[in-house]
Amino acid sequence: MAGFDVVIIGAGVVGSAVARELSRYQVRVAVLEKELDVACGNSGRNTGMLHAGFTYKPGTLKAECAVEGNQEFDQVAGELQVPFRRTGKVVVGFNDHDRENLLKYKAVGEQNGVRGMRMIDKEELNRLDSSAGGEFAMYVPDSGILDPMQYTIALAENACQNGVEFYFNSRVVAVERLEEGYLVKTEKGEFPARWVINCAGMYAPEISEMLGYPNYPTKGFKGEYFVLDKKAGKHLGIPVYPAPNDKGGFSTHATPTIDGNVLVGPDSYVTEGREDYAATKEHLDGLIADGKKMFKHMKREYFIRNFAGIRWKRYNPQTGEILDFLLEADENRPNTVNLVGIESPGITCALPLARRVVKIVAEREQLEPNPDFNPCRKGIRKYIEMGTEEKKAAIAENPDYGEVVCRCENVSRAEILQAIHNPLGVHTVTGIKNRTRATMGRCQGGYCETRITKMIEEELGIPPEEVRYSKENGYMFTGKVREDV
Amino acid sequence: MVREYTCIMCPLGCGLRTETRQGERGEEILVTGNTCPKGKEYAVQELTDPQRNIATSVLVSGGELPLASVRLTHAIPKDRIFDVMGEIRKRKLTAPVKAKEIVIENVLGLGSDVIATKDIGKI
Amino acid sequence: MRQTDVVIIGGGPAGLAAAVRLWEKGVRDILILEREHFLGGILRQCIHDGFGLTRFGETLSGPEYAGRFIDQVLEMGIPYLTDITVIDISADRKVTASSRDGILEIQAKAVALTMGCRERTRGAIGIPGQRPAGIYTAGVAQSYINLQNKMVGREAVILGSGDIGMIMARRMTLEGAHVQAVFEVQPYASGLPRNIEQCLNDYGIPLYLSHTVTDIKGAERLEAVVVSQVDECMQPVLGTEREYCCDTLILSVGLIPENELSLAAGVELDSRSKGAVVDENHQTSVSGIFAAGNVLQVHDLVDFVSMEAESLADSVVRYLEEGRLATCMLAVKTDANVTHAIPQKISGGEDFKLSLRVRRPVKNAFIRLSQNGNIILEKKMPKAIPAEMIQIPVKARKLNKESDLEVSVVW
Repeated sequence: MAGFDVVIIGAGVVGSAVARELSRYQVRVAVLEKELDVACGNSGRNTGMLHAGFTYKPGTLKAECAVEGNQEFDQVAGELQVPFRRTGKVVVGFNDHDRENLLKYKAVGEQNGVRGMRMIDKEELNRLDSSAGGEFAMYVPDSGILDPMQYTIALAENACQNGVEFYFNSRVVAVERLEEGYLVKTEKGEFPARWVINCAGMYAPEISEMLGYPNYPTKGFKGEYFVLDKKAGKHLGIPVYPAPNDKGGFSTHATPTIDGNVLVGPDSYVTEGREDYAATKEHLDGLIADGKKMFKHMKREYFIRNFAGIRWKRYNPQTGEILDFLLEADENRPNTVNLVGIESPGITCALPLARRVVKIVAEREQLEPNPDFNPCRKGIRKYIEMGTEEKKAAIAENPDYGEVVCRCENVSRAEILQAIHNPLGVHTVTGIKNRTRATMGRCQGGYCETRITKMIEEELGIPPEEVRYSKENGYMFTGKVREDV
Repeated sequence: MVREYTCIMCPLGCGLRTETRQGERGEEILVTGNTCPKGKEYAVQELTDPQRNIATSVLVSGGELPLASVRLTHAIPKDRIFDVMGEIRKRKLTAPVKAKEIVIENVLGLGSDVIATKDIGKI
Repeated sequence: MRQTDVVIIGGGPAGLAAAVRLWEKGVRDILILEREHFLGGILRQCIHDGFGLTRFGETLSGPEYAGRFIDQVLEMGIPYLTDITVIDISADRKVTASSRDGILEIQAKAVALTMGCRERTRGAIGIPGQRPAGIYTAGVAQSYINLQNKMVGREAVILGSGDIGMIMARRMTLEGAHVQAVFEVQPYASGLPRNIEQCLNDYGIPLYLSHTVTDIKGAERLEAVVVSQVDECMQPVLGTEREYCCDTLILSVGLIPENELSLAAGVELDSRSKGAVVDENHQTSVSGIFAAGNVLQVHDLVDFVSMEAESLADSVVRYLEEGRLATCMLAVKTDANVTHAIPQKISGGEDFKLSLRVRRPVKNAFIRLSQNGNIILEKKMPKAIPAEMIQIPVKARKLNKESDLEVSVVW
């Protein structure tokens, strides 16, 4: 294998953003990902909030990147065709202590450069959203909602179209320092590289150590969520957050998703397991109780799914203090960039962080612009979002648009086919789901999953036992019922 | 000897009770709990020689679907179910398949035919 | 825009039976819209027998039962389209459907909602744990195994004692899988007694009542489930956890009428049945829109689905002849021992059939119908269980047109 100019470890939102920003230049880039798709870790396990940046300590990398990432996002969403809406946000309070905290964070936000925040009374709060709980609120017009999975996919696809190579199912097991550059070893092969960038998310401390940096301690703050039916989504137009606690953390909130569902969560508790995404009865029950305070229409009959995500925060083991995002490049480990403890608001900060990574590379060597770089990526056009006349035209042009495969989300065969033949070469059922929303509706694939697995087999010419749900050993079928003998 | 069964002849699912005793003409079976004569018949059968029907599938080549559903025309002894499954598993049809078509005649000599229950068109 | 007398949404047992009855009564301008490639609905994958005893007096497999109606539809030449999905219905009965041929827009005089039901999922009941592959609803597993020739697993546990779950326990056993047990959170089975007998007992599969899955283990493919006993309030009892190693979890935890299109048309739903509020004519709150079969209430027997749809067809014929059907003013009220009752509205002037389910098993009870305190009829029930729908014909001559009908279970 010929060498790479840059190897990026991890295809989460940060790795994908770095890949995309590097693809503006004439460099050969590989992204190594242990899973079968991008955004399998916490990039896809969060609220999908474009944060405004009012809870982060002024002067921190977090604060700087959040505000920068927030304010440029309309352009980014346009270029990458990422579903996004600048909804604004209400941070609601019930008592004087909440009001004090809100005013405190309003001042912090203003110092960070967050625009247009103001306190509103109950009347205005109800006007903004009649289903929001709370006696008063801080209104933050710059907050927005997006699909974090789609965003990461879009970044990665754009990078891929501009020449970046993605290697899935490629867990990095060692990084060897060569005379010149590095040899990144995965379970599947070796990747010689002049530069190595650590974007490994929750595993960043381990990769950090492989690169010769310290194994920074991180602590996992796990949070669980309920996903509510679009019927509940009709009641909520704006994210409703409770007043932050004294440390600037939010507990359970209710957020409309860009697709019209409602997320209730996350709560927050410490976990040891790097990938401890299991939902627990205790916390799901807690969400029901806390969710009702934020969203008056929290009802069991609206539940369609639950999930969990973990914010791996870097901290000082002596004091317990939570530390800022770490982005470093040590002279003793030339041509490496180390990103550790990138958690919330990682989605908002991904591109600003990526630019800072590129800047480090550019300080060391001359980067030639990629003359073919195209910042725009075409997403999959959604049938459900078309009007009747548009539908007619789309079907006339491509009859696959007329064939509805997922009945809850009205996803057509045309979209599923585009997802199966995605630029990154991802073929899992979950990958198709995250690209199209098929199986994400209230029947959770009861109707369409059998059709999607069949299409995967037909399109790729593979037997049933090779179809994967989301992971390498996550087989869907053990074989055929009747074998041809 | 007293035994209890749940009747499977219809959705009512009557709780049946059989009592075997020595009568004037040898062994007699007394059935209670049934709503209809079928229930009585079932209880006696169940006590003496339990029988079941099975439904499964046969591989089809060249069809609109890979499998044709099949069932038995008559119930077979319960302890022969897996033997019959083995016979059905060996069989392969070529489309078109018509419902009622005999797939295996008198399977294992048990006096029951395996028949298709679905039309499978040819592609 | 195409004009049609009756558009039938869904070519399953309800839609087919409605179409045949309409045709028999002289209605010719019918169109069945079916989203699958074949007519027959869910029955195509229900290859087990036991269908048709009430309707045809013999026991048939699902495909054969559907075949009886499909043959009639074909013989009569009743118009139908397959591979077409209805995506919208308006309150003025404009039906919009999508297919490879384009968007079909039809103005119907009457619409029959016969879309059936869907399965309740893991997410809806909020089972904790990880999210590996290997968790299937019973109907999805049935579709894979019986229609697509794909085996979903080898070592299975089943949650929920619904009929399809028990039927899949037997089906998987016949195909060489090992089914360890069926767990039911309620203190009684939700499926029919005969399925406990012939699907579980016959194959030595134990059924544990008052048990539920409290944890799911496996990062990639399912590795184990943890099962706990539950108390009277359905809360898991600490210390009763038992781990079952398995690669497959089949869920049979309930069916929900599929009313997305009904809602689009503005049809009022009943929060108990999850189906439309209908009157004795099967007419919904929107004039000219009718509902029958599993989209109206989840049935346990397809025979009753067909019969309900035939009754719907009779009303649609009158609706077409008379231009409208009089609004039914009397409510059917139920007590706490009844889960739901259909219809929810009556006129007091027509014969009708009342369908209901009891909330919990009862013995030697009476289903009592009364108006204004006067008992209209009492049906004696030696035993009544939630799994069995109870149907009671009610004669108009016994009713008055002034008072709501009260339905109660007494013992």
